Amino acid sequence: MNVVLWIIFLPIIAFVIGTFLLGYSRKFTARVERRYGPPIQQVFYDIFKLMNKKTNISHGWMHDVAVLMLLGGTVLTLYFIPVPGFSYFAQYGDMLVIMYILLIPSLGMALGVGETANPNGSIGIARALTMLAAYDVPFVLTFIGMAMLNNTTSMYDLMVIQQAGGVATWGIVTNPLLAVAALIALHGMLGKKPFEVVVAPHEIATGPMVEMGGKYLGIMFIQHAIAEVVEMTIYINLFLGGALNWFEYILKLFVLWTVMLGVGMVFGRFRTDDAVRFMWKIPLPLAIIGVLLIIF
Amino acid sequence: MGEKMTQRSVWEKIAAKLSKRSLWMLHYCTGCGAIELPPTMTARFDMERFGIGHMVTPRQADILLITGYLSVKTLKRVVLTYEQMQSPKYVVGFGSCTINGGMYWNSYSTMKKLDQYIPVETYIAGCMPRPEAIIASFNALIDKIDRGEANSWKDYYKNYDFYKENQDRVFEGPIETYNDIKADAALFKI
Repeated sequence: MNVVLWIIFLPIIAFVIGTFLLGYSRKFTARVERRYGPPIQQVFYDIFKLMNKKTNISHGWMHDVAVLMLLGGTVLTLYFIPVPGFSYFAQYGDMLVIMYILLIPSLGMALGVGETANPNGSIGIARALTMLAAYDVPFVLTFIGMAMLNNTTSMYDLMVIQQAGGVATWGIVTNPLLAVAALIALHGMLGKKPFEVVVAPHEIATGPMVEMGGKYLGIMFIQHAIAEVVEMTIYINLFLGGALNWFEYILKLFVLWTVMLGVGMVFGRFRTDDAVRFMWKIPLPLAIIGVLLIIF
Repeated sequence: MGEKMTQRSVWEKIAAKLSKRSLWMLHYCTGCGAIELPPTMTARFDMERFGIGHMVTPRQADILLITGYLSVKTLKRVVLTYEQMQSPKYVVGFGSCTINGGMYWNSYSTMKKLDQYIPVETYIAGCMPRPEAIIASFNALIDKIDRGEANSWKDYYKNYDFYKENQDRVFEGPIETYNDIKADAALFKI
């Protein structure tokens, strides 16, 4: 019964947290630019407005299904990572499962945007899959490194070990090289500023979202809010010691998000080829050295 | 052509209250008015306070901002863009060129009244309107949405023949659009 309740409410909780973090990011950006900025609940208004649109254009069957595949894949990932109070599926699926199902949303997006037949959308998808090849190699290496360091592939066990051992056993202390590599890869994964090549509004008109309007865009916004929580939770569980209560969890999400926003405010945007080159020049060697340090 | 006020349900009132806080704008800046927008969006006047931001594609946008005059060629693009937007959608005519032709009154190739071709929700008078005027007009639009009176987008579905006739007269024949407005009106029950 408890598990059923979590299954129902966890996506909603993650959505609310993710949406407030997105609203906070808009306020943060505005304050750095010396503006007043929108209210923190602005993203809720945006999503409500999109879901309340009277006409919604569909480009075909695959377009409809792909949006649900996008959201479904993200919610599925959310169930498999341990959050405070809910680690039912995390006992059955370890980090290898998470690595696989993290790819479902990207594929769903590729299928759906392919049907809209907009050249900007196709460019966006090509960039998204190129970036996938760029950030996934260092990110998977950090998974492997942390699994070898703690002798477990279960993210739940990893969290328990780090919680029991205190700050000295956190991934960011035991292997800072992997933590830095994963942080850079996380920027690419979430499409944050230096690696914002997929959704490049001034260049390819928001890429994959170019033909999405109304409810389709609303679902993509919801997915984005949840995906952001999912991917940051993975980072927290691997390197920041996980969390046993919700206060600690949200605090860690907030701190990590602020660090990422700060990095985003400082940097401009890489070109796609430069982004791939950077990912394979800096985070990948860092991750390899980190794994080698663990082996020897 | 204005629609008669009808009693709104509670849900529609709540929806209007929330939707008015988020308006995404697509600018069609062929005229000179675009120069007034950067100060409106950046630190000095900060339009994002009201939830108004810029969007880059017609599919995502709510407001179509027409800055300045339109020629026959650019009007065609505006009509195509307008039909791609998802309802509810609001056209804001910016500057006196869209109201009565402005300083281009004697020109042979510019449109004089924008609302003959697409339904316009709000006009901003002036040549050029200052950022204060732009923000005042967007606030007027927000109030209008709140009161449930911003329904000009329904006119395009209901009186399509009127707009189509005017468009065809200017374009000298029907243009190739990708949207079947009457079928859409039947599909979405507008």
